[in-house]
Amino acid sequence: MKIALMGNPNVGKSTVFNVLTGSNQQVGNWAGKTVERKSGIIHRANEEIELIDLPGTYSLTAYSQEEIVTREYILREKPDVVMAMVDASNIERNLYLVLQILELAPRVVIGLNMMDLAKTAGITIHSNKLALALNVPVVEIIAAKGQGIEEFLTEAIRVGKLKKDPIADDVPYPEELENRIQAMERLLSDTIWATKYPLRWLAIKRLEQDPEIGQTWKSIPQTNQRNRSTDPCCDPGDPVKYELQESVSLPGEALLQAYEAEGWSKDHFEMAVADAKYQYISKILPEFRVNENPVKRTWTDKLDEWILSPFWGYPIMVIILSLVFWFSFVASAPLGGAVSEAMAWAADVIVVIMQWGQMPEVIQSLVRDGIFAGVGAVLAFVPQIAIFFAFFSLMQDSGYLARAAFLGDRFMQLMGLHGKSFFSLVSGFGCNVPGIMATRTLEDPKDRLITMLINPLIPCVPRLGVMSAVVAAFFPGSRGAFIMVSLLLLSMLLVMFSALFLRRVVRQKERSAFVMELPLYHVPTMRNVLLPTWQKTYSFLKRAWTFILVASIVVWVLSSYPQGVPMNETWAGKMGGWLAFIGQPLGFDWRIMVAIVFGFTAKETTLSTLGILYGVAADASQSIAQAMTGAMTPLGAYTFLVVYMLYIPCLASVVTTYKESRSLGWTSFGVAYNLILSFIIGWLIFHGGQLFGFQ
Amino acid sequence: MDRFLQDLKPGERARVERIEGGGALRRRMMDMGIVPGVELEVVRCAPLGGPLQIRLKGYYLAMRRGECARIMVCASNREYSEPSLASR
Repeated sequence: MKIALMGNPNVGKSTVFNVLTGSNQQVGNWAGKTVERKSGIIHRANEEIELIDLPGTYSLTAYSQEEIVTREYILREKPDVVMAMVDASNIERNLYLVLQILELAPRVVIGLNMMDLAKTAGITIHSNKLALALNVPVVEIIAAKGQGIEEFLTEAIRVGKLKKDPIADDVPYPEELENRIQAMERLLSDTIWATKYPLRWLAIKRLEQDPEIGQTWKSIPQTNQRNRSTDPCCDPGDPVKYELQESVSLPGEALLQAYEAEGWSKDHFEMAVADAKYQYISKILPEFRVNENPVKRTWTDKLDEWILSPFWGYPIMVIILSLVFWFSFVASAPLGGAVSEAMAWAADVIVVIMQWGQMPEVIQSLVRDGIFAGVGAVLAFVPQIAIFFAFFSLMQDSGYLARAAFLGDRFMQLMGLHGKSFFSLVSGFGCNVPGIMATRTLEDPKDRLITMLINPLIPCVPRLGVMSAVVAAFFPGSRGAFIMVSLLLLSMLLVMFSALFLRRVVRQKERSAFVMELPLYHVPTMRNVLLPTWQKTYSFLKRAWTFILVASIVVWVLSSYPQGVPMNETWAGKMGGWLAFIGQPLGFDWRIMVAIVFGFTAKETTLSTLGILYGVAADASQSIAQAMTGAMTPLGAYTFLVVYMLYIPCLASVVTTYKESRSLGWTSFGVAYNLILSFIIGWLIFHGGQLFGFQ
Repeated sequence: MDRFLQDLKPGERARVERIEGGGALRRRMMDMGIVPGVELEVVRCAPLGGPLQIRLKGYYLAMRRGECARIMVCASNREYSEPSLASR
């Protein structure tokens, strides 16, 4: 039996899903989409049930990727039962989706969640009367406390086993509209389309001129998928893929034209249908909802007074984000250190074993200096990323993320972006990987791409670390702070410029709509925070480890062959020499170029590479930076800082961009854009600086 | 006098009369419950011309001023006259 879990965003769907499936979940992506697909197999009463957690949506039109995924799943996979989750505290808008589901799927059970929240807001819902009004079974649940979830599933299984489809009440449409729907139904009732879709839904969608109607989709068996194995970065996720077989136009073209002439255009039908559904909801609402105290102030009202306040909102946001950053990227440093030490220890153990087994020196060096050192450098960031993901889930589930988007939207408007981009960009200051992954919350694919591509221009914690060491060496005292601020301002300016520039590149014409729900605050459950944290961290590691391994080996080979020569004569050193002509206009010598090339795997390695090249034995970043002062002018150092801040996304960000954009072209574009931009800006600063007589 | 949603001050309530324009934005607004006849309240505005926080149907919605400028409203205490569907 196939059961699909549906509902608005923030209704507690994932809580129910997590409770029912436990750790028995399969997480991937929907075919061709970057929408998370979660499914799990559970067993109840000798029945194997495949439970699918469909993405949260407000409607079943084709506005966002989530809606497309949800609708296509219902239309093509035809789940046996739909479990529709409804937020009792916000029942009017939630029922709008339920009415759409009822038109599309015959077997539906409603799960009425957040009854406790509704009660505190002074709303009482009589679930039995709701069931009567819609003629659909209703189960009361409090998902956060685990109450009623099992009963919800039992009811769904019971409905799934019914011999005949239950008949829910139709939405009564006003006469003008009803006549037109019926006329269209008569035209369509004898076609084969009527056997594929519910007739009424089909007629309405035909009147709305929905593009999906009339298309036949063929599922491609798994073995035929060509690019399955050639796509190592992306989880296969959805086991079923579809391709368009044919697209025909349905009967009724003449009728549609006649209606158009009467003023009933496609838009008009859409509005009339939506309007009728809302009218119907307001009509039946008094039957099951009692508003005892409608003006009672809830917790959300009281919190928003501060959090969304025009005056206090921003300081509070700065405090919250600072805390998140401090915990994720500063307080977690010992954890990262422990990981590197563990990796170094493991490398030593393996090398000892190898020596005992008399393996050649080269292999030992490969393992110790290549694989373990390289992979360890990236792994050291995993605790930080994991802690950041945990905070991300916490903020998303509690409802704060939407508030941050509300407060940050004004700044994003300047760049033509959506308020939700704000958090992704702010995350970039911690680490660009979660920043890029956070773009998933954006609905518009073009906005998403832009946000993803400009994210690496924001200096992350490792880069800020290297930069501050160099700044401290070259610009001591209060000048250093000034230089650092100027660099950050430059980065923000370029982010803004690039956002506007990329809008032209991707031909983003529409200003993205900012119509966003501000959900009620609630305390997220431990499971809802930790499970996604684990899934995200795991999927990051799974997809990145091969790239990181290969890159570490390549870097090791380049920097240790030919053997026994000084670093400037290794292949990497020669490469730096060849690249020196690129560095020339910026005043960089070959050492800087080599360090920049090696910085690609992980930006924080730049300093240690420079240390080796300048022959500084000490490990401390300060002394390495000190050594640079002899070889560079302050202007040269400033140019280096700017180029270093911008030049290329690190390996992990490139992999993440590829995974999230699912496009090699755009990923390469992003890398090239960063390289070219950093060169141009570096050149301007170097020569502009010389012109004005700076040293 | 007809006004647009963006002209409302925090704390003011109004009823939706009409949504101008079409396309995805209008459909999105409909999905979020903004249809003719619905009563709205502007709760607060973000500073410097940022988005508006709106209460409707028992929940909160954030919308930009530019989008609010497409929603024509009338005073909510005025008796709402049911316009015929074809004129909406």
